[in-house]
Amino acid sequence: MLQVQNVEKYYGSKNNVTKALDRVSFDVETGEFLAIMGASGSGKTTLLNCISTIDAISAGKILLDGVSVAELSEAELARFRRERLGFVFQDFNLLDTLTVEENIGLALSLNHEDPETVQGRVRETAGRLGIADVLEKFPYQVSGGQKQRAACARAMVAGQSLLLADEPTGALDSKAAKNLLEIMSAMNCDMGATILMVTHDAYSASYAGRVLFLKDGRVFNELLRREQGRTVFYHQILDVLAALGGDVSDVI
Amino acid sequence: MCWPRWGVTSVTLSKLSFRNAKRQARDYLVYFATVVMAAALLYAFNGLLFSQELRTLSKSMELLPLMLALASAAVVCVFGWLVAYATKFMLLCRGRELGTYLLIGLENRQVSRLFFLENLAVGGCALLLGMALGGLLYQAFRAIALTLFGLPYRFAFVFSLPALGLTAAYFALIYLHALRRSRKYICKAKIHDLIYVEKQNEGVVIQTGKKRRWIFAASIALGVVGTFLLMVGGSLPGIAGAGCLVVFMFGIFLSFASGVPAFFDKRPARKYRGQNLLVFRTLTAKLATMGVLMAVISLIFTATLISEGAGLVFRGLFSGRAAESACFDLYVDMAGDDRDPTPYLDYIQENIPVEQSVLYQVRLSENGQVQDYINSRVLYENDGYEQDPVLRYSDYAALRAIAGYQPVELEEGQYLFHCMAYLEDTLKGYGQPVALNGVTLEPGGVCTGHLAQNSGNGRGYILVVPDEAAEGLPVHHLAYAAQTAQPVSSEAYDGLIAVMDKIWAGTGFGDEITAKAQAEAEVAAQTAITVFPLYYLALALTMTAATILTIQQLSESERYRRQFALLQKLGMSRREMSKALRTQFAIYYALPALPPVLVGAPVLLRLAHAPEPGVMVGLSSPAVIVASSLAVFFLIYAVYILLAYTSLKRSVLPDKL
Repeated sequence: MLQVQNVEKYYGSKNNVTKALDRVSFDVETGEFLAIMGASGSGKTTLLNCISTIDAISAGKILLDGVSVAELSEAELARFRRERLGFVFQDFNLLDTLTVEENIGLALSLNHEDPETVQGRVRETAGRLGIADVLEKFPYQVSGGQKQRAACARAMVAGQSLLLADEPTGALDSKAAKNLLEIMSAMNCDMGATILMVTHDAYSASYAGRVLFLKDGRVFNELLRREQGRTVFYHQILDVLAALGGDVSDVI
Repeated sequence: MCWPRWGVTSVTLSKLSFRNAKRQARDYLVYFATVVMAAALLYAFNGLLFSQELRTLSKSMELLPLMLALASAAVVCVFGWLVAYATKFMLLCRGRELGTYLLIGLENRQVSRLFFLENLAVGGCALLLGMALGGLLYQAFRAIALTLFGLPYRFAFVFSLPALGLTAAYFALIYLHALRRSRKYICKAKIHDLIYVEKQNEGVVIQTGKKRRWIFAASIALGVVGTFLLMVGGSLPGIAGAGCLVVFMFGIFLSFASGVPAFFDKRPARKYRGQNLLVFRTLTAKLATMGVLMAVISLIFTATLISEGAGLVFRGLFSGRAAESACFDLYVDMAGDDRDPTPYLDYIQENIPVEQSVLYQVRLSENGQVQDYINSRVLYENDGYEQDPVLRYSDYAALRAIAGYQPVELEEGQYLFHCMAYLEDTLKGYGQPVALNGVTLEPGGVCTGHLAQNSGNGRGYILVVPDEAAEGLPVHHLAYAAQTAQPVSSEAYDGLIAVMDKIWAGTGFGDEITAKAQAEAEVAAQTAITVFPLYYLALALTMTAATILTIQQLSESERYRRQFALLQKLGMSRREMSKALRTQFAIYYALPALPPVLVGAPVLLRLAHAPEPGVMVGLSSPAVIVASSLAVFFLIYAVYILLAYTSLKRSVLPDKL
């Protein structure tokens, strides 16, 4: 579904260039749950921004279903984002002037869906994510976990094919984080959602089927869960992080 | 209360204040520009107030300083409110920064002094720039005043020390009032209060959503009723209508934040159509806490519109009346049917060089059939004429020559109408013959043109008949009209008034004496002393209200920026964001302007209809006055909207990739 080929990203001016991504390559299959891990400054979020077309790449190619996102015009990029991509951010990024229902419905509204069907589809998605009873409330009136589930609902309500999550559990307590990860897992297993999650939390990454490790802008390692249990996979991730030389303290 | 004191750290604080002042002028550019304009306006009008040149243009112009001083008092209050509001607003927006100063060890009084110096620097710069601009503005006002008096204008740089002093005094008053309040606030503030001031909930006047929704519906109903009552007219419905609309303004803005969501909640399909959801939610979030302010701004706009319209009504009234009554260089209307004109004629012969003149009688026909016809069709006041007024053709021909009109032929057996423009169409439809002295005359046409018809040569119209047909008809009054070699001097005019006073001594009555030069000077003076103060006030009110709206809108820049950054990620194109911002902007600025249009337009229409018929015509007709007032108001308003929109669009929309 997604092909990242030799992607490079530079920041700065002629005399002061920072290489954020250095020939990064990997593929994501349809229905896969992929986690990308790495220390602060390793290029995780830059990679996510490039895939989500918020940031432009300096070299290489990103293909989604065979389409190179770099070749799309600004209008096509906007359409691509609203039709194909769903976002879940660490700080929820819900609009505080809209109710939970309206925040979810916004994705459909932007997608020019038939206004008559918006409310029904929002309620159906919210029901699946267990937030049907808070739809009338504003974001400041609900818990962090509910906010993040609302963000998940917004990310999938319009039938987006790839869900991009940037540290989705970063602002949640452990119970809410576990709940969200189970929901994401169910979205992946039961609904066939393709998920690409950036995280520095080994526990969160252990819910994925595959983990990519980034270091200094390059792919350092790759770990596949296969048929193993989540706990075993979690310990394998910790081992790799230890080998990376950092971030272990983040996950204990 | 603590007052600023110079201390050890004063140099550092002064530097910091100066830097902050520069930042304030940049961040609140629209506000700074308005304060500069305020200084310019105050200086320019103070220049007019102290101008000897303008005061000596006419006796009536002696009233100008008083009128301008009264207007200035109101304008100072308006600008005082603006500066106090903006200062408090900036103080709250910068609470975190000021709290940080306290956190790093500055004392409250030092922070207070910092803020004081910063605002003083901004105010001082605005005053200096404003006075430079005011010098030019003064020249523009001077040119307008001289043009009103028909005098040539020549640019002459005038520096008025008294105007400068008074402007500085007004500014000191405005700023000291505003800064005294903020100093009080800072001196009492705790670090926590300042740092978390942005997080404090703003006061909501009406708490419950249900109550608000009810008020929203009732307000709309009151708005409709109020507009209807104002349109109906009359004193009582007018007052009731205005009252309904004032309640409507407060009600609608206080309840907007609940009423509109309730409307959309019942209609989800409409809510999710296009950009409705974003636009209405952004607006309701903004208006939830500024309902009272919006209502006050709406009232200010209403006052502005009425001030501007009233200025135009007065100008139209004075010039309309003068154009009709001062169509001859000299005109004397002698009341009564057996008057001796000798005292006037003797005086004129001795003191006023006359090129051509006519002494004539205005007579009355046998009935008021034309008057009845007019009365049945248009609004008309007969002003004492019970029968139709009649003029001999030979006198009419002489009057046309004196007034500078082309001669008009009168066929045998016919009569003519000479009327004011507003009766032309009505009288063209009058096809009836007129019988005088047993002779029947057929209609021969309608002529228009100013001919002292606001009471002298008939009231709005007069029948021009063959000389023989007018013989023996009762005389209404005697009149004299002349074309003079030079404009009648004020001394000669005063002399004629003295002759009249002598004739009518002790009776309380008098004749009507009009000299074109005196009448035009009087119109110019009346226009200047009414229109200048009204427009002065209107300008100050519009600028103040538009600035406050703009400050409020621009203060949301950061929130809008975050919102649009998220919307970009969700796939909203830049074009759609721009459209949503435009729509939201248009509604935000249209909301406080709509009630004033609903209230102002009927009020101005009634005001413009108040003078006697025939005066408010052409460029002074009621419809033109309403249109011109709206155009002036929206022109100034549009400048602020454009400034705010370009500034906000630049800062909140994401960059193109």
